[in-house]
Amino acid sequence: MKEIRLSWLTFLRIYLRSFLLQASWNFEKLQNLGFFYLMLPGLRSIYGDEIPADVRQRHCAYFNTHPYFAPLVAGTTLRLETLSLAGEEPAVDSETYKKMVMAPLAAMGDALFWGGVRPLAALVGLLMASQGSLWAPVVFLVLFNLPHLLFRGIGLILGYAQELKAIETLQKCRLPDLAIRLKESTTILIGVLCAYLSFKGCEHQELSAAWGFVQLPIVLLFAWLAHKGVTSLFLVLLTTSSLLLLALLF
Amino acid sequence: MSIVLARIDSRLVHGQVLEAWVPFVNADCIVVANDEVAGTSFQCMVMQAAIPSSIKLIIGTLEETASILRSADLLKKRVLLLFTSSEDALKVCQLGVSYPKLNLGNMHSSAGKDRYTCTIALDQHDIDMLKQVEGQGVTIVSQCVPADREQNWHKLIRSGGR
Amino acid sequence: MAVGDYLLAGLVAMLTGLDRVALIQIMISRPLVAAPLTGWVLGNPLVGMEVGMLLELLWLGRLPVGAAIPPDDTQVAVGATVLALSVGHLLDLHGMPMVILSVLIAIPLGKFGQVFDRLARHTNDRLALSGHDALMAGNTTGLERYHLFGLASFALASLATAVIIVLIGSFVLYSVAPLLIGAVRETGLSLQYSLILVGAASLLGTINVNRSASLFCAAFTGTMLVLWMR
Repeated sequence: MKEIRLSWLTFLRIYLRSFLLQASWNFEKLQNLGFFYLMLPGLRSIYGDEIPADVRQRHCAYFNTHPYFAPLVAGTTLRLETLSLAGEEPAVDSETYKKMVMAPLAAMGDALFWGGVRPLAALVGLLMASQGSLWAPVVFLVLFNLPHLLFRGIGLILGYAQELKAIETLQKCRLPDLAIRLKESTTILIGVLCAYLSFKGCEHQELSAAWGFVQLPIVLLFAWLAHKGVTSLFLVLLTTSSLLLLALLF
Repeated sequence: MSIVLARIDSRLVHGQVLEAWVPFVNADCIVVANDEVAGTSFQCMVMQAAIPSSIKLIIGTLEETASILRSADLLKKRVLLLFTSSEDALKVCQLGVSYPKLNLGNMHSSAGKDRYTCTIALDQHDIDMLKQVEGQGVTIVSQCVPADREQNWHKLIRSGGR
Repeated sequence: MAVGDYLLAGLVAMLTGLDRVALIQIMISRPLVAAPLTGWVLGNPLVGMEVGMLLELLWLGRLPVGAAIPPDDTQVAVGATVLALSVGHLLDLHGMPMVILSVLIAIPLGKFGQVFDRLARHTNDRLALSGHDALMAGNTTGLERYHLFGLASFALASLATAVIIVLIGSFVLYSVAPLLIGAVRETGLSLQYSLILVGAASLLGTINVNRSASLFCAAFTGTMLVLWMR
């Protein structure tokens, strides 16, 4: 039997549906309905309106990965379905594939997007905002979403075209290392922002800029406290109450 | 070699382990002890792809784990040891790998298991296995991420499952 | 503020709230975007911008890993913007001190967001079961429908959080603002900057980088020297 090919319209539908992956996120099976919803245009092209019961069962099971990586998983899963339907035996079947990749890909996405791109884009936005630019939110959105939206699309096509080899391609990109580089850049920008605010504060109160350096150990102390698990809420209350007390006393 | 964290986690290498535990315990090597994973080259590749190059990943069968941990490569490493089940944790323990504390992270619910916390589901078999691990002098605690409170597993069992 | 304004703000609360998890996730849920957006529909994007700057970094480092749900900084941002504009108008108090007070009052109320978010996800447990049953009966459109119903629970959870923040917040802010506004004004810029620095410190403390302290110190010192020499 010849392998069924999916049309570009199907891919477009899957791409758009990927934005709804977590609409019914639940504690029981996490993204199970969402993943089936995402796959549905593809499954319909493969099986027609009567999707076999075993296919329905296996693609509506417990599933959880990073939302931006889900199109890649869906691409490969659909390709494995069409391959096995055409009588080829892929090294890993579609159900096992999903189970194997969801956790490691989630780790990759958390590190890259939540830990890497998002804080970096936010810091750039904040630096602009601290200069009084109203474009800051727009710049933040563009910086974050350029890689985000591209990644969803490329992931879907890559996952479908290269099936299991897509993971090898991903490995060659060394995304976890890229995430570390992004986090280091974020750390540098945090330093720049803190210095800028300290300097402006001194300028405003007509103090010598040397006083700005006093902020350095304080920020480090607070960072250490945050690392040890002290909540932001507590740090905010501590700062506010001490500053208000100072203002009331002097 | 020192084992800085031994953990049962059915998701093995994922966000909680890499983003939360690795920096918290300052680990530079992750050892996955699992027969099934070690036998599937595809899954080994996926896990390798998720880990930054500054951290060493070794995947071995339960039998191999003891000798891996004794090898010269790991002499100066701070190891994070991962299992998927209570049975594997016990087997590795009996093979002569000693870890002072066993962390229960994610143990997925399935038919016949009772849920004790949001992330931990156990059946009688699990409890028997864990009791034997404890018999080897290991303290067993549940703690999903470092930000959560660490809780002795006896407290968990006493509070009952559902 | 007119009733229409509150309705508009409620719409923004739901849209930005959905963006957190359930829908699209292009990060209009970040305070840096959600607050100016709220300010913009209420006719004052600048106040929203000030709110967004104070809140953006506070919980940015809290990754949504595992069962832990971070505080709802989106609704804190939306709520604080509404508070600053509505109570500010009522008491005729404007400017940064009012923004700071609104943010300070909204922050602890963000806890409600966690409660409602958890509730929404538990409601979805039932949807997931019904959806799965529909699918097994061969009804794929049924599954699609149940899946999309989930959006309603997330939207309602966000709206409920925003309403609670605005209701309790208005009451508290209305009673304490006249007492505290003088002291906040006294602190001048230092309180505003310190709050952003607290956010920066919490992000720095939770970022997963080996040399974070030394990189930070180098960047701080370098920038300081450049600004000083100028």
